Amino acid sequence: MSTYNFKKISTVPASKDFVDIILSRTQRKTPTVIHKNYKISRIRRFYMRKVKFTQQNFHDKLTTILTEFPKLSDLHPFYADLLNTLYNKDHYKLSLGQLNIARHLIDKVASDYTKLLKYGDSLYRCKMLKRAAMGRMVTVMKKQGPPLKYLEEVRQHLSRLPSIDPNTRTLLLCGCPNAGKSSFMNLITRAEVEVQPYAFTTKSLYVGHTDYEYLRWQVIDTPGVLDRPFDEMNTIELQAITALAHIRAAVIFFLDTSEKCGVPLDQQLCIYKSIKPLFANKPLIVVCNKADIINLEQLGKESPEKRELVAELERDHVPVRQMSTITHEGVMDVKKEACDSLLGMRVELKMRSRKAESILNRVHVAMPAPRDNKKRKPFIPANVLKAMENKKNAMETESTDKPRKKLEKDLEEELGDDYSLDLKKYKDLMVEEWKYDKIPELWNGFNVADFIDPDIFKKLEELEKDEEEREKNGFYKPDIKEQDEATRKIHQLALKIREKIKINWINRQLDRPGKKAVMSRVTSKRARERSVSRLRNEFSELGVDMSDVRGTNFTRTRSTSRGPPLKRTRLRSEAMTRSYSRGPSRDVSGVRDVEMADKMKKLGRKAQKERNFAGRKGEGDRHIYDLKPKHLFSGKRGLGKTGRR
Amino acid sequence: MAVRCQFEGSNDIGVFSKLTNAYCLVGIGATANFYSVFEEQLSETIPVIYSSIAGCRIIGSMVAGNRHGLLVPSTTTDAELQHLRDHLPDKVKLQRVEERLSALGNVVVCNDYVALVHPDIDRETEETIHDILQVEVFRHTVGNNVLVGSYAVLSNQGGLVHPATPTQEQDELSMLLQVPLVAGTVNRGSNALSAGLIVNDWAAFCGFDTTATELNVVESIFKISDTPQTAITTTMRKALIDSLA
Repeated sequence: MSTYNFKKISTVPASKDFVDIILSRTQRKTPTVIHKNYKISRIRRFYMRKVKFTQQNFHDKLTTILTEFPKLSDLHPFYADLLNTLYNKDHYKLSLGQLNIARHLIDKVASDYTKLLKYGDSLYRCKMLKRAAMGRMVTVMKKQGPPLKYLEEVRQHLSRLPSIDPNTRTLLLCGCPNAGKSSFMNLITRAEVEVQPYAFTTKSLYVGHTDYEYLRWQVIDTPGVLDRPFDEMNTIELQAITALAHIRAAVIFFLDTSEKCGVPLDQQLCIYKSIKPLFANKPLIVVCNKADIINLEQLGKESPEKRELVAELERDHVPVRQMSTITHEGVMDVKKEACDSLLGMRVELKMRSRKAESILNRVHVAMPAPRDNKKRKPFIPANVLKAMENKKNAMETESTDKPRKKLEKDLEEELGDDYSLDLKKYKDLMVEEWKYDKIPELWNGFNVADFIDPDIFKKLEELEKDEEEREKNGFYKPDIKEQDEATRKIHQLALKIREKIKINWINRQLDRPGKKAVMSRVTSKRARERSVSRLRNEFSELGVDMSDVRGTNFTRTRSTSRGPPLKRTRLRSEAMTRSYSRGPSRDVSGVRDVEMADKMKKLGRKAQKERNFAGRKGEGDRHIYDLKPKHLFSGKRGLGKTGRR
Repeated sequence: MAVRCQFEGSNDIGVFSKLTNAYCLVGIGATANFYSVFEEQLSETIPVIYSSIAGCRIIGSMVAGNRHGLLVPSTTTDAELQHLRDHLPDKVKLQRVEERLSALGNVVVCNDYVALVHPDIDRETEETIHDILQVEVFRHTVGNNVLVGSYAVLSNQGGLVHPATPTQEQDELSMLLQVPLVAGTVNRGSNALSAGLIVNDWAAFCGFDTTATELNVVESIFKISDTPQTAITTTMRKALIDSLA
């Protein structure tokens, strides 16, 4: 179904802005630098491009306007007529037509001038031609001021039109001004139309929606209609007439029997009679509103002649109802009756169409014929049934609900980032503690149970018993007896040494400066703590024989002066002389040292090897891209050198 | 009362969940919103279980089951099977099925008494369905569609079938299934019924786009609301015709 939405039409700039937009665009989007000594073909191309670009932009912009505005012939007759009453069809068409002509003219100008530009023989001429072309295009556009302005106004108005779907289920409210149409609308929809105690409060069509029978109903509130011929009606009234004429809706005609609206009842009925032809083929209800002031019975008593007028309608088989938008009496009945009659009519129409057959299967409920004696009862748990019962009772007694259960969603919201999905929480197991068992029952595709030895505990117990026995029998006790004096001494010494090492280690740990980096000995200028003499002392204290120290590490001393070398050793002399100006040659610049340079050379050669072997040309080979560059061999020589022209 | 809901912006909630009279499986989403919809409605009665099949969350299309049992495809991993077993009530049998048509949810539709299956399903699978789910099994199509699981939704109270199913076929199916049937759509005219709708005997959930008329048909045929099933042909008839044609 096509929907009518006029909100997406792009803005129409005024003619001056239009020109500015296009010209600045041309300036921005085409090249701007040209010189007279360029080749003439290039100069021509440069200006032709400008002309064509400008023309294309004008063309595109005009085309979007022409396509975006609705074509009256393509619209639903309701909208076509509405647009006609609101904006005048002729004016609208003329404006669009004028833009179309402008577009055509601009195209023509551009094609003429591009043709002329082909014969431009200098930069100046070409430029003048371009200027002329642009000037003419702009002049054409400047003349479009009024239509552009009009179209912009139309666009703004169109975008604010209510989106009425002419084909859907619709209730149409009409009647004389101030009869209570908008009040009725506000009662059955949520449109919130303005209601005021004077005539013509509603100046255009308003749309609201209401629900009935699970369907959405469109309600259109129309401005009031006065009793005069169609050609004398103003735009406001004509909108109502347009809606009445073209929308197949249930019409609710409002009568004000109290005559508080300012129009006498006989005149109201004249209105009814004059627009009656528009009610043909539409369900119609005449509603006597303001029954809170005077209803039909009271009317019959007070002024029988007026009651007779209404009775005349009833004799024509027009349903006449009464309601009051103030006391809400009869409002829903009117809505219901209108909806029902329209729905009935629509269904009847649709059933006659071809499409109806395809949906008949969907309004059919296939009831099962029994095929055996088996009972197939629904399975509804008892607590659900109880809950349903409770709900039904609660609806009657309006009791308060019990507090809502805390859901996973609430938990997630509460915990925020700390929330993590716990998949084990709702496990249905025999013992509650099993839920969070650490050992998985399945791991990497293996069933853990398959790998469990059922007698593992028994075996463990046996092993422990064995172990105990062994310990009791002194299997692990070292037999000291067997040791002789010498080895015992050695053992004791070793024990002492180990102890000392441990103490030293602890001391070192304690001495270590907290988090500071360990400074090197040279920089901190600490007094030397380690010395051969100290070593000797301490070791002899420990009972180590320090008399024979030949060949030991600590006897080899070296002078303190010689630290590590300050620089990396240069492997090859670099003492080659070179002139001041010359930097290092290119193959060694940026290379760390000679070694690296050598390596690079080697790598380079290796990379070239294959290419050289095949005798192909490489990137290092000399190559002259243009043996005879044109600029050096053509044209006259000027005053300059031979190499420059 | 049928509930409209969405799975991470998708209306195909039936793809991501499975509902029976004894349990409800829900795919693992990025947030707990979808899960909580079911939790709120069902968790007092039946377990609502986060689950996955072969690492995917499209469980609704992959599994078939009723209150007697649950069949999962051969692609289900051992851990997933264990997870399901840990959560399901002990009465519900769980069985992995070696079936070529591994999307069991699309090829099997069943309630607690009868099942319709894809005509090309294995013999062994058919037997498994009969044994585990304790149902009578019929090979049948729905409106010329072999994917009966996708185009039909069934509970013990009623059933919804593909909108193109002719009246006569509906009667036949209703005779087989022994429940009232109606042809309809969900999600504003979508015919992938099982994707848009999941039901059991007392609850129904459908996609967010489902219109009021569709929802009403669902509620009445599955006896979720008090409207009688015949209302579709009587009181709702006009509204249906007007919105469909």
